[in-house]
Amino acid sequence: MVLADSSIVVLALPEIYRELNTSVAGVTWVLVSFNLVMALAAVPAALVARRVGPGRAAAVGLAVFAGAGLACGLADSLSTLILARCIQALGGAAAVTASLELLPATVGSERRAATVWAAAGATGAALGPALGGILTELVSWQSIFLLQVPVALIAAVPILAVAKYEAATGIVSTELRRTGRPHIWANLALAMVSAAIAAALFLLVLLLIEGWRLSPIEAALVVTTMPLAAVLGGKLAEYVPAARPRAAAGAILVSGGLAGLAFLPKATIALTLPPQVLVGIGLALVLSALTETALGGRAPQAIHGGWTISARHAGVVIGLLLLTPIFTHEIDQQRHDAVNAGTAVILDSPVNPLLKLDLAERVSRRLEEEKGKVPTIGPAFEPLPDDPAERAEVQQLQGELQDQLDRGATHAFSTSFILAALLGLIALLPIGLSKEVEL
Amino acid sequence: MNGEGRSRGFLLVVGSVVVSLILVGAYLAAGGSSYTPEKVQNPCEPRPWSNPQSLGEIANQFTVSALDGAACKLGVSREALARALATQQGRERFKQKYGITDNKLAQAVRAGLVRAIDDAEEAGALSPLIAGPLRETVQRIPLSQAIELINDAESFLGNAEGFLGPAQNLLEDFLP
Repeated sequence: MVLADSSIVVLALPEIYRELNTSVAGVTWVLVSFNLVMALAAVPAALVARRVGPGRAAAVGLAVFAGAGLACGLADSLSTLILARCIQALGGAAAVTASLELLPATVGSERRAATVWAAAGATGAALGPALGGILTELVSWQSIFLLQVPVALIAAVPILAVAKYEAATGIVSTELRRTGRPHIWANLALAMVSAAIAAALFLLVLLLIEGWRLSPIEAALVVTTMPLAAVLGGKLAEYVPAARPRAAAGAILVSGGLAGLAFLPKATIALTLPPQVLVGIGLALVLSALTETALGGRAPQAIHGGWTISARHAGVVIGLLLLTPIFTHEIDQQRHDAVNAGTAVILDSPVNPLLKLDLAERVSRRLEEEKGKVPTIGPAFEPLPDDPAERAEVQQLQGELQDQLDRGATHAFSTSFILAALLGLIALLPIGLSKEVEL
Repeated sequence: MNGEGRSRGFLLVVGSVVVSLILVGAYLAAGGSSYTPEKVQNPCEPRPWSNPQSLGEIANQFTVSALDGAACKLGVSREALARALATQQGRERFKQKYGITDNKLAQAVRAGLVRAIDDAEEAGALSPLIAGPLRETVQRIPLSQAIELINDAESFLGNAEGFLGPAQNLLEDFLP
């Protein structure tokens, strides 16, 4: 749940920025703040978990996560929401790193625990947006956070037993095994790949909702392709025991998928599916392989797990901060070009000059109403002329103008998708340098 | 790691490269790199008239030429100007955005009308005997009327034909 939380609000962002009356750049901080605090707090939280006991750390972490989730759900301003997200990330960092210490007792071995934990991370990242989109559409964006409260509290119940046991017996994992250096290359690769994956989720969702005007639930259904493909990626990973080729193949597939999204030949949902399949399979392969490599043969697990969490969330932050200004600038530019191209279509059409100038003015008014967004242009063409021939011409013009807007909206994301794909490819360098670890 | 494991890893990497290249190649071949809004034409470049048959078609091309001419003079796109001219409110926003005075806008719109008359004459849609007086007229009219002429070129050209047509016939009878 905590790992899904880094991406769960992605589909709710357009709704949040409309309701809290902010900008795309401002609302991005709802994501950035959570990931930034997770990146900074993961390792210290793991150290605390080692000191006070993973049971207690996880229980307190989940309680803080639940309390902050409630505050997020009740937030009536962007600053309150961002502050609550920061606190939520603190609790999340404690819960997720401590859980890695608790897992071996549940699943049987540290090796198995690392695999399960890595798989949970990949599943969370892939599932988050779809889950968030469905909740946003069916209930509200606040429900995403409010629903986390009972889930976190229920998860805390069995952990409380462990915490009580730790308190009663004083058995805390005080065994001070030397904390080896974190696996630099695997963590570096994780950061880069996470930046690319964050871009895939965040940009694709914005393209679907803001660019192509899908509802959150429709967008959620579309991006469900990624977690479904991730299941396939998980199965594929079972056939390849070596982590390095899995990580390399995953990074290549994520980059290939992102490049596909950068060069969409038409604004059609079906064309986003093959790239999403590649990203989904890729993320399942690369995230689990790199997490296993970073944890393999290292102790204590919580601290090295903390490093992987830190790397992943730092990557998300870098990806968002790097790409957000690029695509917000591109959206403005492409919107301007698209509206001009659409107006040119109207002016060059054979319709009556009086009508065409009236249409041009209505389009202009519509742009003012939808300032800062990719506009839905339909209302500018209402009411349609009574004359059937003129009506058909106007409807054709509406289609052509919408086509130009779709072109603009789709193209606005191209540069960001290409840069994200490059980040995925650059990750091949540290993957190549990472020493193979036999788990 | 055994040989089979190695070869599976190798196959996975090669397969990923191949699948990625196929996807990107297919999207590029289908026009992925050119799926962008069409570029609008520079209004200062000539826009050739097609062969207009009716008064409505002439008025249509006249409007476009006038917008091109005015936009060229102002250094803005024809499209931005067209969106601005339909209402007083749009005009005010446009003037504020581009820092244009009423006087400058009036001069540009008149220059646009002159270009439209020139283009119509060149295309054979307006006789030189009608074009001359029209050119003189549009250079003296106030801004609101000049904009009205762009908006309703059909009435303007129809009236001009109505007034000046008989005079032209008369002149043609007397001129060698």
